[in-house]
Amino acid sequence: MSETGECRGDAAAYVLGALEPEEAERFRAHLASCVICRDEVAAFQPAVEALPMAAPAYPVSRALRRRVLGAVRADRRSAVGANTAPRPARSRFARARRQPALALGALAFAALVAVAALALSSAGSGGVRVVRATVTSPTGSAQLRLSGGHAELIVRDLPAPGAGRIYEVWLRRGPGAPSPTSALFGVTSSGAGDVGLPGNLHGVSEVLVTPEPLGGSSAPSSPAVIVARLT
Amino acid sequence: MYLDQRVLGIRLHSRDLRSLADEDLMELVRDGEAAAFDVIFDRHAGRAFALAYRMCGRRATAEDVVQEAFLSLWRSGGRYDPRRGSVRAWVLSVVRNRAIDSFRREGTKESRDVHDELAVERAPAEALTHVEVERREEGREVRDALSRLPVEQRQVIELAYFGGFTHTQIAEMLELPPGTVKGRMRLGLTKLRLALGEPSEAVL
Repeated sequence: MSETGECRGDAAAYVLGALEPEEAERFRAHLASCVICRDEVAAFQPAVEALPMAAPAYPVSRALRRRVLGAVRADRRSAVGANTAPRPARSRFARARRQPALALGALAFAALVAVAALALSSAGSGGVRVVRATVTSPTGSAQLRLSGGHAELIVRDLPAPGAGRIYEVWLRRGPGAPSPTSALFGVTSSGAGDVGLPGNLHGVSEVLVTPEPLGGSSAPSSPAVIVARLT
Repeated sequence: MYLDQRVLGIRLHSRDLRSLADEDLMELVRDGEAAAFDVIFDRHAGRAFALAYRMCGRRATAEDVVQEAFLSLWRSGGRYDPRRGSVRAWVLSVVRNRAIDSFRREGTKESRDVHDELAVERAPAEALTHVEVERREEGREVRDALSRLPVEQRQVIELAYFGGFTHTQIAEMLELPPGTVKGRMRLGLTKLRLALGEPSEAVL
């Protein structure tokens, strides 16, 4: 049992992924200074990693294997065709992570003006285009990878969206309000998340992300924390 | 081994790739080697699908989750850090996160539609590969350990891990104080750890 005054016996819930996002962030900060809780986490980890083995095993269909491995090769061809191998794309992303974060207090204003600071790299038609997005939360970075009409948003070091909330992706076409998408995502304990955008991005000028209540909203209820400008 | 062959510019055959450890394969995946990723898929897709199916309850949704997860792993292969755990644990944690995202997209969990006749568990041993037999045995051990837990401890662990619910949501569902849910999780995991033969010198 955690016995120090600050410990609240959260290690099991943390390892099970069952703490609320804010609690998990507090617990991670606590772990840095508490050897007891670190030991508890390390002790519980193998048991939790064994839990998936309890799920009844099923054969993987050949169709699924074909789909996944075919998509991997298509992805690879796009990257090669664009002379944009996976490693350079990550290097660019790593550089983005080192950029200074904008202050939280300026969040709403920054969301409006930050699009001007977007860096856009185009690898030509048929290739992978990587759009570096502006992130207005205190930490985090994001990029949009566009390939063959498919787009994926990749975020790193992004704070959790808050208790009972989830990040929602919006598409802006023209001057009006952005349209909601079915792309809702959370982030891992390290702030990472990858989400595929539904449909194609024809006519889309901006991709935005806002924190919304679970299940998503039909109109943004908060300022955008990520803005990627496509034009 | 593979490094020497890369230096010599020799492309590894899939038979050679299958002899490599997961961590070595991930080095090749990081360099964009799709054939190495095929081996990773073949080693871990079965367990990944089982987890997704257990969580989502529908084959089509589970397949979508597995597809999304493996494509994400392919694109982020360079971010795998062996110091933070095995490739299998990494794959399964991505699958679990994708399944939870899928629940949230749907707004609610879909009704369960698991066809037991497809389960490897129910197939005669002679119809299975030795890998499937090993997985079945491993699965049986974990299921036995879970089944020996008091029902209230097993319930909160399964709701959290397979259901993707937080302790607050579980407390609301079961009409329990949040502290009680955390306490049951802790007791349950402690017993599970001991039942699965983890070292006992740690904290508990």
